[in-house]
Amino acid sequence: MQKSPLLTRRELLKVGSGLSVGSLLPFSGLSASTLRTQAHIVIVGGGAAGMAMVNRLARRLQGGTITLVEPRETHHYQPGWTMVASGIWAAEKTMRLNAQFLPRGVKWLRDYADSIDADSKRITLVGGETLEYDFLIVASGIQLNYHLIDGMTPALVGQHGIGSVYAGIEGASRTNQAIQTWLQSGHGRGIFTAAPTPVKCAGAPLKMTFTTLSRLEDTGRRDAFDVDYMAPGASLFSQPWVDEFVKQRFDSQGVNRRHHYRLSAIDPQAKQAEFAFVGPESEFTSHHQLREAEFRRDDQPTVIADYDFLHVVPPMSAHDFVKQSALIAQDGPFRGEWLDVDIHTLQHNRYPEVFGIGDVIGAPINKTAASVKAQAPVVEGNLLAVMQGNALPASHSGYTSCPMITGIGKAMLVEFGYADNFAFMPSFPFIDPTEESWAVWVMKDRMLQPAYYAVLEGKA
Amino acid sequence: MSIDGMLTILMYALAPFKWLLIMGLIVIIALHLLTYLRGYKITHHRSRLTNLLALLIGLTAILWVPWLTHSTLGYVATVFDWIALLGAATATSVIAFIILHPLSYLISFRDKE
Repeated sequence: MQKSPLLTRRELLKVGSGLSVGSLLPFSGLSASTLRTQAHIVIVGGGAAGMAMVNRLARRLQGGTITLVEPRETHHYQPGWTMVASGIWAAEKTMRLNAQFLPRGVKWLRDYADSIDADSKRITLVGGETLEYDFLIVASGIQLNYHLIDGMTPALVGQHGIGSVYAGIEGASRTNQAIQTWLQSGHGRGIFTAAPTPVKCAGAPLKMTFTTLSRLEDTGRRDAFDVDYMAPGASLFSQPWVDEFVKQRFDSQGVNRRHHYRLSAIDPQAKQAEFAFVGPESEFTSHHQLREAEFRRDDQPTVIADYDFLHVVPPMSAHDFVKQSALIAQDGPFRGEWLDVDIHTLQHNRYPEVFGIGDVIGAPINKTAASVKAQAPVVEGNLLAVMQGNALPASHSGYTSCPMITGIGKAMLVEFGYADNFAFMPSFPFIDPTEESWAVWVMKDRMLQPAYYAVLEGKA
Repeated sequence: MSIDGMLTILMYALAPFKWLLIMGLIVIIALHLLTYLRGYKITHHRSRLTNLLALLIGLTAILWVPWLTHSTLGYVATVFDWIALLGAATATSVIAFIILHPLSYLISFRDKE
């Protein structure tokens, strides 16, 4: 079903946008103004993106209903999981109650979304409740598809030398324990992997390798350990300069890079991993295009590798309830796996009353909390414009940021966007994105979490 | 970013050190009050030893501030790194001076008595 990018007059009237709109300033104008409405806005997902939108819209809308669908009581600061898995932070530091960030007047349904009927503007929750919406913000995050690696489950993290920074806060803690156990063994082979799909925080697999290298060097027996990095494509990171830097640094730190391999199976008892050779023509990076249906190909040769520590990065996608809805991308690189939005306006390409934000969207980069910071005001401005029948005023530059930890105690502030093949977009003129820096590490260690919470509150 | 946003970030950044900051402030205020009642004025009292000690404590910050941040001095590499670290060292010197200066007055006051 194709729809025009803007709502029809009839639809506007239906949602009560015959409302008072005179006070609303355009996007460049500021959030002090409010819009009177009777619309029902549903936000699916209470992570960084969902919570930021709840707070922003609660301030901007008068009279409407905002419903948040989020099952978890605890909010996880996921950018801190690499610090936990590297033995630097305690797990508790990354957790707060969702209720702490929720503004008054928002209806919070503690349940999972089960399905979305975009044509009927209806969401069904796992508990059976049905919600009808006028506007929908999909901020449901990402689904970890460990099942696409034969023999792998999240429950294995922390056992048999398996780690995975992505497997929740418990998984991050158990990853740290698995690394510690490997270090204490005094020797052996560690294999770090990357996924053949887009992943959240695409720098995390690299950061885990770098922090583990620091820990290996601290043992004073670095030569007793072998470290391999298995990448599904020719690149390790989407930003070209950083990609080349990481490759050179891996080479100088004795990491054996092997390209065009994806982790296809593990045998935890035998501590063996199977890698499928995906072909020399594969150019997968952190934002490549492999889809679930294309994973198992009998013609792909495989190799078996013994390991003492294995860092697993699972294939990722939008959640099944999004994939099974009409909101999923129908064609193009994100088809069947990610939400179909315009990567600049963040409005759904076929359902103008739907917006996407955060990890769920089909975009070449942007699965970071820093992206959410840049996307939230865009969705806010554009949603309010749609509610008034105006043209969309805001555009997302693709800004994303990765404090690339290159060792415990140093990092590079890598900020880039869509333009000019992911050219750097530094926020601070006095910080060079190509330099390793202690101050950037301090930002990662001390300042980014407070800034993240300000984003959740819609204040940054 | 709005002032509200900056204050929110600052609030979250300082929250883990809330009690440390409160206790430190109480100690400094109490010390200054106590010495003030005994005639202390920051501009009148001279103590070279205090100045030297405050400077030395500030210089030691160059070593332990990176350690406090799970890093090492070896990773302080860029110009901005050094400006930040010297800023931290200067702040440490100032705090040390604010504590040591009235203390030295108290000691000299006791000696005079």
